Parts: sequence; structure tokens; C-alpha cells
Amino acid sequence: MANRLLDRQVSLLEYLSSAAAIFGNQANAPVDPALQGIDRGLLRLEARFSCNRRIKKIVAAFPRTFEILGADQSVILREFVEASRPTNGSSLANARQFHEFLSALWRREPPEPAYLLDVAAFELAMLEVRNMIEDREKPPKKGESDGPKPGIRRHRSVVPLRCAHDIRSIFEVGLREVVPPKRDTSLVVTLPAGFRDVKIFEVAPVVLDLLAMLDDWADPRTFCALADLETLTSDLAAQELIEVRA
Amino acid sequence: MSIGRPYPAVGIAYRAAIGQWTRDHLGDFDVLEITVDHCIDGGRAVRSAICDLVGRIPLTAHGIGLSIATDAPLDEGYLDQVAEIIELLKAPTYSEHLAFARVPGRDLAILLPVPKTEAIAASVITKVRRIQSRIPVPLLLENISYLFDWPDSTFSDADFLNLICGETQAGLLLGAENLLLNSRNHAFDPYEFLDSLTPGVVKEVHLAGGTTVDEDFLARPYFVDSHSHPVPDEALNLLEYALTRHAPANIIIERDGRLDAVSELLDDVARVRARLAKPIGHTHGQSAPGSAG
Repeated sequence: MANRLLDRQVSLLEYLSSAAAIFGNQANAPVDPALQGIDRGLLRLEARFSCNRRIKKIVAAFPRTFEILGADQSVILREFVEASRPTNGSSLANARQFHEFLSALWRREPPEPAYLLDVAAFELAMLEVRNMIEDREKPPKKGESDGPKPGIRRHRSVVPLRCAHDIRSIFEVGLREVVPPKRDTSLVVTLPAGFRDVKIFEVAPVVLDLLAMLDDWADPRTFCALADLETLTSDLAAQELIEVRA
Repeated sequence: MSIGRPYPAVGIAYRAAIGQWTRDHLGDFDVLEITVDHCIDGGRAVRSAICDLVGRIPLTAHGIGLSIATDAPLDEGYLDQVAEIIELLKAPTYSEHLAFARVPGRDLAILLPVPKTEAIAASVITKVRRIQSRIPVPLLLENISYLFDWPDSTFSDADFLNLICGETQAGLLLGAENLLLNSRNHAFDPYEFLDSLTPGVVKEVHLAGGTTVDEDFLARPYFVDSHSHPVPDEALNLLEYALTRHAPANIIIERDGRLDAVSELLDDVARVRARLAKPIGHTHGQSAPGSAG
């Protein structure tokens, strides 16, 4: 059986990422036959180590969110661990998974305070931007006579974010001092070249819409009817919010 | 009488959380170990801080994300990224763990053992050769610390490593603390392990300090590799003993926990150097288990 070891490895990781192993639920439940002969207590210890390591990455990614969650955080983390198995070891992947979980949870039951949604999204955006490594343009393949077509795209280290509250004060002043005002806010989180940490801009909603559309290279004239497009694109390029390919 | 020998380089594993401290103390180390995965996943600031070290101090490359012992094809995209980072660092070697951490669709980011059997050794050997054909610097494999072993293992730890390293000419990154913890948790003699290794196979050494875990669901206390405490004397004894049969190029101290007590790393470096300054050939003194951390 060529996949026998892989089957056993799958069984092991399924078990180690299960609530049964992590929290010690169903301690007397029968163990997967693939894991017979392995001490259940040691598996539980491995499961706990792995889970703790994952939680540590997530808590580090969402410091303000967890500060606001306060005593609720242990319940939410437990629900997350029970609902979302780890699929990737990176901090960013785990943070995205946790944010997806929170978003789904808060769609069913809005959080208290309501601005938690925006705070969590903002913290994920900051992590996305900090983790961005510039991708290089691949040269055209052999036989491809056409070079890349002219166009614009959102800079790789830019995340556009629409918030229902202006939560910037939480990150600028601190949690205890302010209650973020409820106000539709179009934010851009970015890490321009030469900067050590992220910068946050508020932009006009129409600019946010444009940036959100520019995941990939596009000719702006095909979808944008702004009167002064050329000035806008050159302004956005000057602020390193978009890349321009002539 | 002291037998002359070139001292191995002594340094620490670079961590972004103590990046500034490390740069402030660069003169205290001969070498830094860079975790390639931190360059891959850590983002621009982390990568840029690491790149700033190139040319200022020798760097070695260490990986935690390959999962070589997963019974599935190697992640070629990951290997491409590793090759790029090694070139960036000008690293003379690339080390990885003889372990698995993921299967398709699940990644627990912890290093787990595989059954030590001939069939699995053969599968790992094939992968090592593939890596050697892709990565232009020598590959070193590290023995991991493991809490449980698979019941169908037929090889000892040392024989399993000898077989794989012998067939592939890969070197061994001796995790001295891993060896110490395994010997305690699984009741074997770590000096016998060292005696069983092919002479000269150890090309690099890792040191760290672990802790003891005692939970109501465990049959007894276990020693775990937390990288959070000073290197125990017993691990230094193992290092000293290993140096009688091996000539590793680098000795790296790893630290991931209690980074507020980072100055302990300087003490560890001094303690390692003091051991290196001792003459070769003295006998080891085995100590009672239970002093980890």
C-alpha cells in the first residue's frame, strides 16, 4: 500500500488538531486504528503544543481585538479551534483563518462593541501589508513576442479597507482613551518602500473602489469613467498606491 | 595536554524579536543561523533586517517548513524559495529536520517523528537526493526531539540517521538538547547514540534549554524542547563528547522563549566557548535526569 504512511500521517494530524485531543474531550473514545500503540497522553501534549503555538501567532496578529474581547477571548478561541483546523503554518494564513471565523461569527451575532469588526479587519490588513514581499515581474516566455501590456494595478503592499467606524484613534491614541466614532471611513493600509512600518491614509470612497478593483493589471479606461483619470493615477502612483506600466 | 583543533564557530539563531539586540551584540558571535522560513513568511521588514546582516557576519541557513518526511512529493515551490534565500544569505549549508509537520490540507507547524523503518528511510533518501540536486549547498539533517515514537520503528535513532546520511552524504545537524531530551524521555544512553554515529557526520550542532512538563494526563513528567532556558550542563557534556569524534563547523544556540532574559544567551555562548577551550579526550560524566530548564 503506497500511501500507508501518508494515511497514518493524515490520521495523526487529524487527531492532533481535534478538540478531543486538544481539550481532552472524550478521553475514553476509541483511538484511530492508525494511532494504536501510541500513548494517548503524549498525543494530547503534542496537540496542546501545536494549538498553543497557533494561538500565539493569532493573538500576536490581533492585539487590540483581543484586548477588546477581554474575558470573551477564551470562549472565542476555543470555538475557533473546534471549528477551524490548521491548514498552513504561517502567521498570516492562521490570521486570515481566524478573521474569516470572526466575520462568520459576527455576521450571525454582531459583536459588542460593534467596532470590533473594523478593528479585526484593520489588524489583518496591517499583517497582510507587513508580510507582503515584492513579487517580481516574470519575463515573457520564449516565443511570446508581446511584452506586458500597459496598465495599472494596486501596489502589492496596499490593502484598501472600508470601515463603519473610524478606528484609527484606537491605534494612534490607545484603547482606553477613545471610543471610535461611527462614520463610514475609506482607509488604505500601506507599507511604502523605505518605511519600517505601515502607513494609513483616508481616501475618497471612489478611490477606494478603484484600488479595490485593481487586483491585477488593467487598463483604467476600460472600467473607470473619472473625468481626470490621468491626474488621479499619477497622484496614486506618486503615493505608491498603484503601479503604472507604460 | 591540549590537542590543537580549529574551534567551531559559535553563534545564535537569529530571531526578529531580538533583532536589534542581536545587531548590538554582533561582535559576541562568530556566526548567526537564519531560519529561511522567516525570510519567506516574515514580510519585508524581517527580510530586510536579515539581508542587512549579509557580509557583516557569516550566516547559515536553517529550515523548519520542508516536512521532508511527509509521505508525499516535496513542495518544489517551497524549495525554489529556499534556494533563493540561501543565495541571498550566501549560506554555506542548508539544514532541515528529519521530521514531518504537514500533510496535504493540514499543517500543524510542529515537528513530528516518522516510523524508523527501512522503507521510510528509502523514501527520505530519495527526497534528500532530490533536494541535493536543487539546492547548491550541502544539506544537513537534524535529529528532532520527539515525545512519542511509532510502535513499528525498527531502527535506533542513530542507525536511522546513519543510514540516510550514509546513502546521501548529507551531514548531521546534531540537536544536542534534542538528543538529551529524547534520551531522558525514552530511556536510552545519549553517549551510546553519539558512539553509534558515523565519525565525522556531525557538521553542525544545535543547543537549547528545555523545560519539564507534568500533567495529570501524563504517566510521568516529560522533558520538552521549549528553547526557553539556558543550555543545561548535560547538553554541553554531550557537545564536548561529540567533539571528540566530529568537527562541526558551527555551534548554534537556539532561543525562542523568555526573550526578556536574552542576556542568558551571552552566558550560554561563553559557556560553550569555555567547553571548546578544554582539551579533547576527557571522559564524560553522566548526570541524573531531571535538570532540564
